Amino acid sequence: MLIMENGKRIQVFFFGKLSEIAGAATTLSNLHNTDELIQHLHTQFPALANEKFAVAVNKQTIHTNTELPDNCTVALLPPFSGG
Amino acid sequence: MDAIANTSNIMKKTPKNIFTEGPIAPAFISDSIAKHSSNTSIGGHSIFLGQVRADVIDDKQVIAIEYTAYNELALEKMHQIREAIFSKYPLTCMHIHHSLGRVAVGEICLFVFTSSAHRRAAIDACNEIVERIKNELPIWGKEILEDASHQWKVNQ
Repeated sequence: MLIMENGKRIQVFFFGKLSEIAGAATTLSNLHNTDELIQHLHTQFPALANEKFAVAVNKQTIHTNTELPDNCTVALLPPFSGG
Repeated sequence: MDAIANTSNIMKKTPKNIFTEGPIAPAFISDSIAKHSSNTSIGGHSIFLGQVRADVIDDKQVIAIEYTAYNELALEKMHQIREAIFSKYPLTCMHIHHSLGRVAVGEICLFVFTSSAHRRAAIDACNEIVERIKNELPIWGKEILEDASHQWKVNQ
């Protein structure tokens, strides 16, 4: 049987307060860009709606909707509070 | 071993680790100062030490901060900051240590140490590094309160 599923695997990491909402990490597939991914995460974890965060794809912070490459790593970064 | 940074050190590809598990011991800081006595081109050091403060939040006192980081990205960013600071200021050396995990109030969680031939470069570079660490490194502090509840730290 022909498997039509898009094999794109996306590993998502949640940091700081966001890890309490969504856990430390999750693996997703069938999402093509960051807008789709964020929308998916908001549906899965409604509490994310109240949180401010930046998004990094393969360790690059993005500012607009970005295509997700195969086997990429996406990180959700709440405001930093080191030091 | 790497008490004194040199040019080949700056050019190194693998980012240097800055993270220490738990608090930064005062003895480590004094050892670090002592190691610089052999470099007699240095005329001034600047040191910043971040200490965990016993803030009071809703009548509850902070007893510790638990730090986590996106390590890989933090080390990459720190490497970029290190290079930018070295090209901006005539520094002899620069050392940075940040805690991960639990650090109790009164303990040291950040140690930034710069040295130069003349004081101005060490002082200005040290200040700029501290600001950039707070603004740019993906590190998060969870403030643990006395009743074991917590709140996520917000940098001012």
